[in-house]
Amino acid sequence: MRQPPINTIAPDAIKAWKITAAIVVGVFWLLTIALAIISSIFEYSYWYAAIAAAISGVCTYLFVFLIPKLRFRRWRYEVFEQEIYIQHSIMIVSRTLVPMIRVQHVDTKQGPVLKKYQLASVTISTAATTHEIPALLEEDASELRDRISMLARVDEDDV
Amino acid sequence: MSNGERLHPAAILFNFIKVIKEALFAIILGFITFRDESFFYFILISSVLVILLIIYSVASWYRYTYRIEADELRVEYGIFIRKKRFISINRIQSIDLTAGVIHRIFNLVKVKIETAGSGMSSEASLTAVKLAEGERLRNELKKERTPLNDVEEQLVDEEPSYKISFKRLFLAGSTSGSIGIILALFAFVFSELEQFIPNRFYDNTVEWIIGLSLFFIIGLSIVVLILLWLFGIAGTMIKYGNFTITRNKDELFITRGLLEKKQLTIPLRRIQAVGIQESLIRQPLGYVTVFAEVAGGSMDKGEEFSTVLFPIMKADEVEDFLQELLPDYAKQPEELNPLPKRALKFYLLRATLPITLMFAAVLYFLPPFIWIPIVFFIGALFLGFLRFKDAGYDVEGKRLLLSYRTVSKMTMIIYHKRIQAFEKKQHKIQKAQELATMKLSIIAGLGGKHYTVKDMEERDVDLLSDWYSYRK
Repeated sequence: MRQPPINTIAPDAIKAWKITAAIVVGVFWLLTIALAIISSIFEYSYWYAAIAAAISGVCTYLFVFLIPKLRFRRWRYEVFEQEIYIQHSIMIVSRTLVPMIRVQHVDTKQGPVLKKYQLASVTISTAATTHEIPALLEEDASELRDRISMLARVDEDDV
Repeated sequence: MSNGERLHPAAILFNFIKVIKEALFAIILGFITFRDESFFYFILISSVLVILLIIYSVASWYRYTYRIEADELRVEYGIFIRKKRFISINRIQSIDLTAGVIHRIFNLVKVKIETAGSGMSSEASLTAVKLAEGERLRNELKKERTPLNDVEEQLVDEEPSYKISFKRLFLAGSTSGSIGIILALFAFVFSELEQFIPNRFYDNTVEWIIGLSLFFIIGLSIVVLILLWLFGIAGTMIKYGNFTITRNKDELFITRGLLEKKQLTIPLRRIQAVGIQESLIRQPLGYVTVFAEVAGGSMDKGEEFSTVLFPIMKADEVEDFLQELLPDYAKQPEELNPLPKRALKFYLLRATLPITLMFAAVLYFLPPFIWIPIVFFIGALFLGFLRFKDAGYDVEGKRLLLSYRTVSKMTMIIYHKRIQAFEKKQHKIQKAQELATMKLSIIAGLGGKHYTVKDMEERDVDLLSDWYSYRK
C-alpha cells in the first residue's frame, strides 16, 4: 500500500475557493431574484421562484461551505526526483502518478482571487494530460515550478 | 523569385470545391431562408459570390508554387500576403499520396507531407499533381533520409504484407455497426424533408399509408432496413476496399479505398498502443478489428480517432498478424487476471441504474408499455455481466495489456514508456470492499486517450502503480 503524498496546499485555499464559489452561486441568486420579480409582475405561481431559491440554497451550502473544506482536507502532493504524486478527492479519492520524463511543461497561474491571498496554482502538462496543484503560496508555487522544470529535463527514453 | 512548379490546373477545381464545402451550411441556410421572398436577390448575390470564388481559386492556384531546393521542400503561397514554408527533408515524417474520385479521372494524386509537429492540418499538402510527379516527389523527399536504401530494395519482396479478401470485406460491411448511424441519418433527413413536401401531398400519403394493411407497412420497413444494411456494406466496401498493410523497415504503410485511394504512412515509433476491438456483432462470429493509437498526425487524414491496422480478421489470426508486422505487440497471454467476484455487483448496478430510472418513469406514466423497460433491463444486466467478465489485465515485463468493454470489447497493449500518467480512484464503498478504479493516459492523435478499468482488486491496482512508478 502506497502512502499518501505528504505536502498539503496553502490553508488560504479554502478562502479563495469560497470566494470563487460565492461568485458563481451569486449568479444563481440573482437569477432567483429575477425569477421572483418576474413572477410577481406577471402573476405566475410563486412555486417556481421557491424551487429556484431552494436550489440556490442547497448549492450555496454545498459549494461555498462544504466542498472547499473537504477538498482542502484531501489535497496532497509530493514531488520526487522521478515523478510527481498527486492526491485529491471530494467523494472519490484519486491518486495520480506523473513521471518526470513525461512532463512537457509546467505553468504557474494566478487569478484575481488567488492573488488576493498571495496564492498561485501550478499546472503540469504531459502530452496527453494536464494536472493542477491549486492554491500554493506564491513562492512555493514558483519554486515548485522551477524544480519540476529542472527535474523534467531528464534525457528522453533510456527506459 | 518563385521559379517553382505549379500544381496541376485541376487544383483550381479542388480549391473551389473546398471553399464551397466549408460554406455549404451557410449556402443551405441562405437557400432555406430566402427561398420564398427575394429569391432573385439570393441568386444574384450567390452568382456574384461564385464569380469571386472562381477568381480566388484561380489566383490562389497561380500563386501556389513548390520546389525542392537545398534539401528542403519550399512552398510559396498566398494571394496578397505571400507566405513561404520551407520544410527540411530530415524533418519529414511521412509523405502520403491520396487520390479521390476526381483525382483518378485526371490521373492525379494529392501529396500530403507531415512533420512531427502536430497541427490541425498537414504541414504541406499539394492538392493536385500528376501521379508521376507525385511519385517523383516522394522518392526525392525520402531518398536522402534513408541511406540504407539499397538494403531496403533487396528486401522488398520479403516485406510482410496483408491484403483484405473480398469475402472478408463483405463480412466487415455486413457486420459493421454503421447500420444504426445510417438509420439515424435517414430518420433525420426524412424529418427535415417533411418541410419541403407540400402539405396536401403529405396528408394524402399518410391517409394512403393508413389505408394499407399493417403487414404491408411491416414488409416495407423490412425492405428499408435491408436497403440500409446494403448501404452499410457498400460504405465499408468503398472505405476499406483493397485494404493493404505493408511493413517496411520502420514504417507501416496502409493503402485503402475503392473509389478514393488513400495512403497512410505510420512510423513505428509513433505508435503508442495497439488495440483489438471485438464488437457485439462480430465477437460471436470470432472476428476482430485491429487498430493502433498513433501520436501526432493531422485531423484531415479522414481517419477516425484510431488508425485501423486491419478492418476485420479472425481472432486467432491476430497473433500471426502482429508477429509479422509489430512483433513487439505480439504474444498475447493465454489468460488475463480477472476482476474479483465482488466487483460484479458494481458492474450490474452501473449498467442497470439508468434503466431502473426509466422503469420507474414508464411505470408511472405508461403502465401498458412496461414490457419495454423490462426488455432493456435484461439487456443491460447482460451487458453489465459481459463488462465484468471481459475486464482484466496482464503485465509482462514492460508491457501492459488491459481489456475492458463499454459496448465492444477492447484489448489494449501498451508499453510502460508510452503511459503518460497513472491514476487510482476509489470511492467510499469501493474502499470498504477493497476495490479501486485504474485510469491510464496515453497520447493519441493530437491529444490524449484514457483507459479506465473499474472495480479492480485494490491490491492489483497498487501493484500496477508500483510497476508504473519510476521511484523504486
